[in-house]
Amino acid sequence: MTAAGAKALTAFVAGGHVENSVIREMVEALPVAIYTTDAEGRLTYFNAAAVKLSGRVPELGTDRWCVTWKIFLPDGTLLPHDQCPMAIALKGAEVPTGIECIAERPDGSRFWFTPCPAVVRDAEGRIIGGINLLMDITDRKNAEIEASEQFRAIIETTPECVKIVAPDGTLLFMNAPGLGMVGASSAEAVIGKNVYDLIAAEDRDRFREFNERICRGEKSSLEFDIVGLTGVRRQMETHAAPLRHVDGTTVQLAITRDITDRKQGDRAALLLTAIVDSSDDAIISKDLNGVITSWNKSAERMFGYTAAEAIGQAVTLLIPPGRLDEEPKILARLRSGERVDHFETIRRRKDGALLELSLTISPVRDAQGAVIGASKIARDISERKLAGRSALLLSAIVDSSDDAIISKDLNGVITSWNESAERMFGYTAAEAIGRPVTMLIPPDRLDEEPKILARLRRGERVDHFETVRRRKDGTLLDISLTISPVRDAQDAVIGASKIARDISESKRVRAALLESEARFRQLADTMPQIVWTARPDGCVDYYNERWYAFTGFSQDAFGDASWEAILHPEDLQKTQENYYAAIKAGQPYNIEYRLMDRAENRWRWFVGRAVPVRDAGGAIVKWFGTCTDIDEQKRVQDDLRRANEDLEQFAFSSTHDLQEPLRSIKIYSELLATRYGDTVNEEAQKFVTFVREGATRMEMLVRDLLTYTQVTKFEPPRETADANEALNNALANLAGAISESGAKISAEPLPSLPVHGTHLQQVFQNLIGNAIKYRSPERQPIVNVGVKRQGAHWEFAVSDNGIGIDPAYKENIFGLFKRLHTSDEYSGTGIGLAICQRIVDRYHGRIWVESESGQGSTFRFTLPV
Amino acid sequence: MTQTAIHGHVLIVEDNEADVFLIQDAIATKKLPVSVDVVKDGEQAVRYFDRADADADAPCPNLVILDINLPKKQGGEVLKHMRRSLRCGSALVIAVSTSDSPRDREQMKELGANGYFHKPSEYAGFMQLGDIVKGLLAAGTPATESSSS
Repeated sequence: MTAAGAKALTAFVAGGHVENSVIREMVEALPVAIYTTDAEGRLTYFNAAAVKLSGRVPELGTDRWCVTWKIFLPDGTLLPHDQCPMAIALKGAEVPTGIECIAERPDGSRFWFTPCPAVVRDAEGRIIGGINLLMDITDRKNAEIEASEQFRAIIETTPECVKIVAPDGTLLFMNAPGLGMVGASSAEAVIGKNVYDLIAAEDRDRFREFNERICRGEKSSLEFDIVGLTGVRRQMETHAAPLRHVDGTTVQLAITRDITDRKQGDRAALLLTAIVDSSDDAIISKDLNGVITSWNKSAERMFGYTAAEAIGQAVTLLIPPGRLDEEPKILARLRSGERVDHFETIRRRKDGALLELSLTISPVRDAQGAVIGASKIARDISERKLAGRSALLLSAIVDSSDDAIISKDLNGVITSWNESAERMFGYTAAEAIGRPVTMLIPPDRLDEEPKILARLRRGERVDHFETVRRRKDGTLLDISLTISPVRDAQDAVIGASKIARDISESKRVRAALLESEARFRQLADTMPQIVWTARPDGCVDYYNERWYAFTGFSQDAFGDASWEAILHPEDLQKTQENYYAAIKAGQPYNIEYRLMDRAENRWRWFVGRAVPVRDAGGAIVKWFGTCTDIDEQKRVQDDLRRANEDLEQFAFSSTHDLQEPLRSIKIYSELLATRYGDTVNEEAQKFVTFVREGATRMEMLVRDLLTYTQVTKFEPPRETADANEALNNALANLAGAISESGAKISAEPLPSLPVHGTHLQQVFQNLIGNAIKYRSPERQPIVNVGVKRQGAHWEFAVSDNGIGIDPAYKENIFGLFKRLHTSDEYSGTGIGLAICQRIVDRYHGRIWVESESGQGSTFRFTLPV
Repeated sequence: MTQTAIHGHVLIVEDNEADVFLIQDAIATKKLPVSVDVVKDGEQAVRYFDRADADADAPCPNLVILDINLPKKQGGEVLKHMRRSLRCGSALVIAVSTSDSPRDREQMKELGANGYFHKPSEYAGFMQLGDIVKGLLAAGTPATESSSS
């Protein structure tokens, strides 16, 4: 807008109404949306174009900041009107030029626009209003978007890698083919990371320098190797140009091509040259005019011409005058695409000497298949006559072979017969030679021979043909035949040599093997366990169906890694170590581990077992293994162990805690009786007595229960205990009861044994204590402790002459809290025998009682030797 | 040694009032010329020693009867703290407990207890604690371990 125009507009706005009808008409007619506001942003004027663009008729004095319905930023976020560029301008802030916004019309359609807000100030510089022009840029934006979509389509469909790299090497963009080249499964794997890491180490500096050069504005190309994310080396050729990035920096835009195959092609050509040069045969190529185009080292040696001398010359240079007619014929055959094989002829050296040669000449074709020349391999056969000497050697080999080696002519008549043929078929050479080979063929297979002969006549070989032949004695024989045509010097097929191998045995073995394997697989598939076999080196080569059902793996997944994938990470190392140690030592193994249950998506416990299968010589030929699901069993065991531990912990701590208040009850009921017994009546005294007795009994119970629970805390003893000492300690603890009852205790000499002394003492103390407690009122108690050796354990016996136990209760008495008597008759907790039982159990021993009611009892228990 | 030679201040650290009564009874029956203070948990005991260190006029025991199982701070910790006290660090200590476990005895001995008393469940047995206190105060040296059961 011109300065004058701006001034007029300013006046137009400042007036708030139209004074100049010329300007008003001009503004009305402008195809650009224009509106004005006062200092508070309230609309004071808008033109027709503003109505058309915004799709609405704004309300003067009410609408603020903008004529549009809704404004969005290019990223799609809603821009509130009081934050629109006009509002910013009216608040006195700088508004950057060239902002692009999207506006939505009330009907939902959208358009792109660029606002150009300006403020109007009075003479003092105060903002008195604003004017805004909204430039519709929708067409341009659509074209841009379309272009970028096209660009994207091109990038994504090109087979080359398209990438953008920041000056510091950060990868900003890479298309799908590029991701494929570097082995990235997704863009996230590489985008934003440093691209230098993907370059082969030796090319990294070169690539960095290249990238920096491009980012300084150069255009260039480079060949380099990448290793990608997976370490797979590929050769790349890149063409790069500087690109101005959105943030203003210059970055590298590169199109990179995978030239690995081409490079390998180059290498193959080099290799071929080396082979050609190292060949003993002269290898020459010529064009269809017979002009020599290549000449290898052997050609130099053979013909005496150097490559420089020969190339460009007519190949007739080498042909003696008498044979010049050969060349046109050869060229004619080559032009028709035919090959000339083992053509024996004579050629001339540079020094004039003649050479006997065998020529093989093949047409050379261009990429379209047209014949453009020929390659010629010339072999010096001057010395071939010497070969006769090796025939003798060959015959010796033939005779010493285990295979029957027979030759026949094209009529099927046997012409030679070695020693193994005699052995195998039962005919001597004299019997066989001259007779038709059909004598060896069973009647039902006679049609085989014409077919074989037909193939031989065509020059074909018959390889490892498995069939059945008949011996002289009529028995049948499984054999494998290899039959090759025999040619004369002119290359015509004149007969066949036949090597027959007896495969009866191997066939039987194989059949048996197949059958046993089939049986094994059938069996394995019906087993509820996972069954597998592995090679002697431990590599798994078979799983049964259960494995595939459990893992969901495909049937072709074998080998070491096949089981590691579903093993619990915490069990992996231990299992591998165990497994390979077992494989190495050739020892069976047995280990527990967790496998992922695909169906339930949780770990299950298995016990894995494997045994080596050995051949007759003791060598391991296979490993046979199973994985058995023990999850349920394991879980129950764990639960049980935990429950037991909890229970014991509870019992231990509660008995401790119970002791304390009991002590107070006992002492204070005692104090009550001693200090105040006289002051209360008889009934109250009786009550106090009950309290004391109850507390005393409770105290015994708690103490015994504590002992009982502590038996659980079992550790194997480190040394043996002297049973005599244990008995003496028990008797010392029982001294009061013994003297009070007048019991007579006797004992045999006792052994030392691998148990805790305190445990043995506890058993003695409980059993002898019981013997005294349950004594007969009619006689002096007599207790005897005896022992005898019973195989791997000692059997102890504690006998008494007490009241005995009714056999009906023999089993019951060892249970916790089991009592046969009321506490009035005999005091006791019902824990003593349970403790004995528990202790004996810990040593895998047994405890039982032999008794007659009224006749005394004998408690017997066994402990290890 | 005559009774007049025995002077002292006894601190009872015990949470169970029933036992506090019995301990006091055991000391009283021996007619020992001692003053007695009682605290009810481990923290109070620790504060008692700290106060003695901070204030020269505060009482400092020359014998402590220390229950092993205490609220807030266990007896072992109290004993460790006391041994670091400037004024009370050399006091005699009798550990008392309902427990008769050898581990507890061993631990308290290692921490420097001069005696261990397993609280019995008969009155007469409990009163033997008085003899131990008397003996320790008279000798001023560690008494042999004692237990009534």
